[in-house]
Amino acid sequence: MKILSVECSASPASCAIIDNGIIKASSFVNAKLTHSQTLMQMIINTLDNSATKLSDIDNIAIAVGPGSFTGLRIGISAVKGLAAPTGTPCIPVSTLDGMAYNFTDRDCVVCAVMDARCNQFYNALFDIKDGNITRLCDDRALIGNELKEEVEKLSPDKQIIICGDGADLFYKSVSELKNIIVAPENLKFQNAVGIGMFTYKNYENVSTVSPNELLPVYLRLPQAERELKAKNNQTEAKV
Amino acid sequence: MNNTFLSNSPTETKKIAADLADTLNGGEVIAFYGDLGMGKTCFTTGLAEGLGFTGEVSSPTFAIINEYIGGRLNLYHFDMYRVSGWDDLYSTGYFDYIESGGVLAVEWSENIESALPDDVIKVTIKRIDETKREITVNRGEAV
Repeated sequence: MKILSVECSASPASCAIIDNGIIKASSFVNAKLTHSQTLMQMIINTLDNSATKLSDIDNIAIAVGPGSFTGLRIGISAVKGLAAPTGTPCIPVSTLDGMAYNFTDRDCVVCAVMDARCNQFYNALFDIKDGNITRLCDDRALIGNELKEEVEKLSPDKQIIICGDGADLFYKSVSELKNIIVAPENLKFQNAVGIGMFTYKNYENVSTVSPNELLPVYLRLPQAERELKAKNNQTEAKV
Repeated sequence: MNNTFLSNSPTETKKIAADLADTLNGGEVIAFYGDLGMGKTCFTTGLAEGLGFTGEVSSPTFAIINEYIGGRLNLYHFDMYRVSGWDDLYSTGYFDYIESGGVLAVEWSENIESALPDDVIKVTIKRIDETKREITVNRGEAV
């Protein structure tokens, strides 16, 4: 069973080919390039380099969110285009589920954080024990302070690993905790390998959709309730 | 830090903008304040020219975003007039453009005041008379 996985929910973009649980090929770029210009070429190169034909691919797994508006749309559009001609079944995966897969070699709590800007984060928490991942909450969008309070309530006996594109930013607020670290650079970011491995391990349980049905999953930001516009008098004062 | 300039013509306004463009490193957000017809698009033309962009600059009233690509830095010209909430703003790709390493020039930035970064550069244009403008450039400090 061959899975092509794609991940471009934020600044990095990556793709991988997972062949019966083995990483046959992977490619990762985090160079502020626009995914619309690089992603498709990266997928073609990764297929070519591993002598894989698109028609060999059984499923395409894709990180459908949370993530950046533009990034998610580019990734999903690319996958729709690749899958449409042959009707390849697509597998939508949470960006955060993919991240937890980097840490199955140790017992820990994974705090996957993506920078949603303006002191907001997309987050999910995972408990890992004996290589098994247990999700502790649904994917959510929350204010930095709320996440900080939750992380502080976690057991002080367990190692907490922060990963994702918001890892360094969020770590600043919880750095005084002794049992918390930022993932090392080689494991820090969301990566298509994690998306592909999650899909492989949970193959019996994941839902497949047709290319037409594939949609991004956007989480409503907590600040969406807040006033975006300047009050007239405030504008005057600030100017 | 506040810098106030007096411009006697659109040409001088463009020169003031081009001088500002020389100081940019990428990642800046320039927010405009001022009524209709003050010369915000004129100022943006000066920014684009200062960055070495040679194409046409126009108000993105209907497109919401115009991209001026090919200069020393890419310039993204926003008009937030029709952006009325966080979901709208998110769907313009505003936050993704900030990450891109280009420069953002934002008209009607009052509409997204809460989403402007701490180190926003505020450009306020006031009318003195038919052709004269007072231009204030305020560089916020990152908190």
